[in-house]
Amino acid sequence: MPQIIDTQVDVELSADGDPQAFIWNRFEHTIIGQPQAVFTRTRWWENDGVPLRIDTELWRVDASRGDEEQHRYDLRRDVDGSWVLALDWG
Amino acid sequence: MSFPHLHVASAYSTHYGVTMPEALAEQTKAQDGTFLAVTDRDGLYGAVKHVRACVDAGVRPGLGADLAVHDDDHLSLGRVVVLAHGNTNGRGYAALCRAVSAAHNNAAHNNAAHGSAAHGSASHSSAAHGSASHSSAAHSSAGTPSIARSRLAELAGLRSLTVLLGPASDVGAATGHRANEDARARLTAWLRAMPAGSVTLEVVCHLSEPGTPGSVTPATRMLALAEHAGLPAVLTNAVRYGTPAEAVTADLADAARTLTPLAELEQPQTNGQAWLKPARAMRQVARMVVDAGLHDDDALELLFRDTERLAERCALDPVADIGLGRSRMPEARIIGVSGDPVAELWKRARAGIDDLYPRPEAGARRGAASAEDAHARLAREMKTVEHLGFAGYFLTVARVADIIREMGIRIQARGSGVGSVLNYALRTSSVEPLSNGLLWERFLSPERQTLPDIDIDVESARRHDIYRKLFETFGSDRVSLMSMTNAYRGRGAVRDAGLALGMNHEQVASIAKQMWRFNARDFRRALAEKPELEPLAAEVRESQQLDQLVDLTAKLDRLPRHISVHPCGVVLSDATLLDRTPVQASGIRLPMSQFDKHDMDPMGLIKLDILGVRMQSAMAHAVEEHHRLSGESIDLDRIPLDDPATFELIRSTRTLGIFQIESPGQMELVGKLQPEVFNDLTVEISLFRPGPMQNNMPLKYLQARHGEVMPDYLHPRLEPILRETKGVVIFHEQVMRLFDELTGCGLGRADVFRRHLGKPEQLPRIEEYVRERALERGFPPAVIDQVWTVLAGFGSFGFAKAHGAAFALPTYQSAWLKTHHPAVFLAGLLTHAPGMWPKDLIVAEARLLGVPVLGLDVQRSTLDYRVEELGDERRGIRLALPELTGGTAAERARIVRHQPFSSLQDFRDRVRPRRKTFEALARVGALDSFIGYDRARRHELLAHVQSLRGTAVTINDDQLAFEVELPVQGFEGARFDAVTSLELRGRSQTDLELRDLNLAVSGHQMTRFYPLFAELGVTPASELAGLPGGTEVLIAGVRRATNTPPMRGGRRVVFVSLDDGTGPVSNVVFFHDAQERIGGPVFQTRHVLVRGRTRRSGAKGVSITGENLWDLTDVARKAAQRQKAAAAARHTDRADELAAELAAIPVDNVHHQWPIRA
Repeated sequence: MPQIIDTQVDVELSADGDPQAFIWNRFEHTIIGQPQAVFTRTRWWENDGVPLRIDTELWRVDASRGDEEQHRYDLRRDVDGSWVLALDWG
Repeated sequence: MSFPHLHVASAYSTHYGVTMPEALAEQTKAQDGTFLAVTDRDGLYGAVKHVRACVDAGVRPGLGADLAVHDDDHLSLGRVVVLAHGNTNGRGYAALCRAVSAAHNNAAHNNAAHGSAAHGSASHSSAAHGSASHSSAAHSSAGTPSIARSRLAELAGLRSLTVLLGPASDVGAATGHRANEDARARLTAWLRAMPAGSVTLEVVCHLSEPGTPGSVTPATRMLALAEHAGLPAVLTNAVRYGTPAEAVTADLADAARTLTPLAELEQPQTNGQAWLKPARAMRQVARMVVDAGLHDDDALELLFRDTERLAERCALDPVADIGLGRSRMPEARIIGVSGDPVAELWKRARAGIDDLYPRPEAGARRGAASAEDAHARLAREMKTVEHLGFAGYFLTVARVADIIREMGIRIQARGSGVGSVLNYALRTSSVEPLSNGLLWERFLSPERQTLPDIDIDVESARRHDIYRKLFETFGSDRVSLMSMTNAYRGRGAVRDAGLALGMNHEQVASIAKQMWRFNARDFRRALAEKPELEPLAAEVRESQQLDQLVDLTAKLDRLPRHISVHPCGVVLSDATLLDRTPVQASGIRLPMSQFDKHDMDPMGLIKLDILGVRMQSAMAHAVEEHHRLSGESIDLDRIPLDDPATFELIRSTRTLGIFQIESPGQMELVGKLQPEVFNDLTVEISLFRPGPMQNNMPLKYLQARHGEVMPDYLHPRLEPILRETKGVVIFHEQVMRLFDELTGCGLGRADVFRRHLGKPEQLPRIEEYVRERALERGFPPAVIDQVWTVLAGFGSFGFAKAHGAAFALPTYQSAWLKTHHPAVFLAGLLTHAPGMWPKDLIVAEARLLGVPVLGLDVQRSTLDYRVEELGDERRGIRLALPELTGGTAAERARIVRHQPFSSLQDFRDRVRPRRKTFEALARVGALDSFIGYDRARRHELLAHVQSLRGTAVTINDDQLAFEVELPVQGFEGARFDAVTSLELRGRSQTDLELRDLNLAVSGHQMTRFYPLFAELGVTPASELAGLPGGTEVLIAGVRRATNTPPMRGGRRVVFVSLDDGTGPVSNVVFFHDAQERIGGPVFQTRHVLVRGRTRRSGAKGVSITGENLWDLTDVARKAAQRQKAAAAARHTDRADELAAELAAIPVDNVHHQWPIRA
């Protein structure tokens, strides 16, 4: 069962622009392998105003804290560039 | 690091792409890109703009098209991108043009065959990639462009084209649902069909959710397929917009294209990633695609290498490949030239001058130009023509003019080309330039290198015949119609935005009605600023949906919406035309270029504006009718331009029906100006334009013309330039000559300065130059100040005198016809309706000119207005059959075919009119010939027609009808025993005509009010001219026109033209205070009574300044009531009571005013 985290985190990007690591609960989580991004569209016309983006940017990453077992996480990048750790898939 | 985008739809992929080519090129440059291809859907609609934008941005352009393809069995193969190869001397680009044309040609054929072909297999298209999904494949039968793969293969030969098979292709679709075997088989079919090396696989990934189109999985499988087949694969982003923020607009485009609200879209974009991503973002995507599958180690680099290589191959040289800026005229032999075009042009021009200009020894008329002058001017013009290499152009245009004339069609050149002796000598233009003071340099000079424009006005009714003839003469590989891009404007934008949001139709329509006088882009600002929009603004504040609507409308504004055939543009070129422009079928079936007028000059295509002008048709009709009746031929182009009677008619302001000067405002100006010579007409027409009107130029000119003020010529050296317009600068030509006189810059450069006057940023530079040079050339500083103020104030408005003179000619010609041949002229007006006035008024004018208008008669009326000789030298105009409301074209055709009819029975059997038509014809008297034109018996006839049941007997054309007499014809007994129709009871002939023809032919519709007019003391319009200015009058009539012309000071003035049947229309002016007093009725009331004062405008002109206005029908009703009451009062004791009743009627009601006049 995924666990909802929904907390803002700092994300470190590689030279290519992919997330490389994120800091959550003071611990750095290192991302392993090629992270995959997914853009999900919104039904924006059901909300207020006209949006700048019609989709939400999610990154599904495998990461581990130190030598601990790796987890799968969903990181969300908002339009303002801030990152939110959305889910911990375990 | 840069990334070359190979698959990009611009906003010219209407209802699909949403970013303009210029923005895409700019963005590419900003992202350090060096290459950009635009591959619009179904065409090269944005191609020329793209190439030019790329040249400006320093980016190498590529061109392609996103096309549907079908196989030999007409089964859809989905959509592919066809890219032209560069560095092929134009072979790649030509093949691309031909491929697009072929796709459209196929669509046209499918249309014709009711879409029997090219039905796609649904499974393939539905799985197509999300953003490219609504591919026509599934429902391509309805005339959607699609090219046969075999044809595409032919065109791709000689390494001309690359075909990208991406997610929307059949291969991509099969890959999309893991049908790997199928995908391989389909790819093999492509490879077999296409030339070696012409097929490349296209990998697209929009990072959408797993399991949806555009996700990494189909992309990585496509890459694997390429590796398996040993084919190159390229990465594209199937771009629909420049930036992510424009994805919303693409959503709107999807809704508009499919006519479906966003919430109900079957296949909305999977996300908003189809933007022009920079290299880094594309690399990111590529890494994810490669990582998602099992690929070779160097797969990523290979993908980029192949993408780069293809871009390199597809980079087009704007000159060598596309032919940008290189003009191509039709081949010499096509325009009937065997030798050197320059020599030929000289020869023809010299011959033309010798024909058209008086010989030196012959005594020339005063002011007329001599052959000597003409030859001198020709030498100057030819120098420029030779220098610019435009000889072929002039010969081509002259050839076209010849062709049109040979068809017997009236032709009149318009625009700056009229300023050329060369055009006059070649008979392209019929206005003599020298005596009219027209300048060649306004048309063409070495300083002005764009292809010149010669506009040709022709008879509107024959325009399509001309187009067909040109295709026939030059061949359809050299001729095409031009297209025009229609862009979203306020109303269309709000409708489509409303549709996308799923709003109800009425609400959107009511908002659309308010979308005018501001740009939709500024919708939000307009809501905040415009008081009349406040109710809407309040609603917007309350509604989330309306709030969105405002922003979405602004997003759609100015986007290309669709293309259609240009109303007058014809493209002429040599046999390579179809290698340089793709064509598609236009509404009138003839091929139409996908390029619009902005693309013509860059592409070196000659565009001719062949514009249909109804007045030319009307005049041609008049000349034809005159010839039919009298055998005399009138050559309108050879009538003397100084006929006193014609000018007298014009000065009388009875200009109704005359070209350009028939509007109330023009009537008034003509009255004030009192034209005496042809040039006065040119001046008059040029003054009556928004710019001069707003700058009070007519008044300044009139004062000087009539000697009220001294003309101000600023300086003796400037007097020759300003004399013809009494010191007022009206014409472009004058501005040019002023510049030239002040600075000695030459007329060619002077025209460049003139153009720049409209650009505020250029003014300081020009001013500096003018001041410096003028001082050197001896003009005093005070004069320079004065002249500069005039020039700077002139701005970009004003009018080319060439244009004014070209308009003045048909003005004079139509006035001449009205003066000398009123019957045939009015018949022409009634047939072709060239002007602003309703037919009813032209009929009234005919009556006043003593030309009887004859009623509809099935024995005599034809499809147009014919003139009949009435004996005693008089001619009458016979009403035309199409005037009958409700009749069909088929019925009319049968009437004309079988005329005359021996009896009513004969008429019914041969024409087989529908009951409604039959009765209407009977009512208006068109069948009166069957009752011996005895109007009193028409009700019997109508009753008989109404009593007819059963179907008409069909009679062969060659068989005589049974001569069965109409029952009433032989009826002898007492009238009241006969069957009659009550439908005619109490109706005058005029009532019946208005009902069934919308035209009062036998009498004027106002006659029924005449007793009332007499009682009220209404002044007849015909008497107004005799009254002094300032006389208080009551006038009345039916409203014929309402105008709100542009006025100095910006306050709206309303002109209402009333027709009371006694004379020309009377024009009432309502100024601001009167408009406020009267309110809505100033625009709405149809039968009008006005109180006002006469206002003299010149010797003959008179108009009324309106003070108050009433509805004549109300007044008539109240007058009747009053009479009744008065009569009643005389007989009873109710007098006091009635007096009280009458007093209660509002004071401003008109009948309290009557005693003043009575």
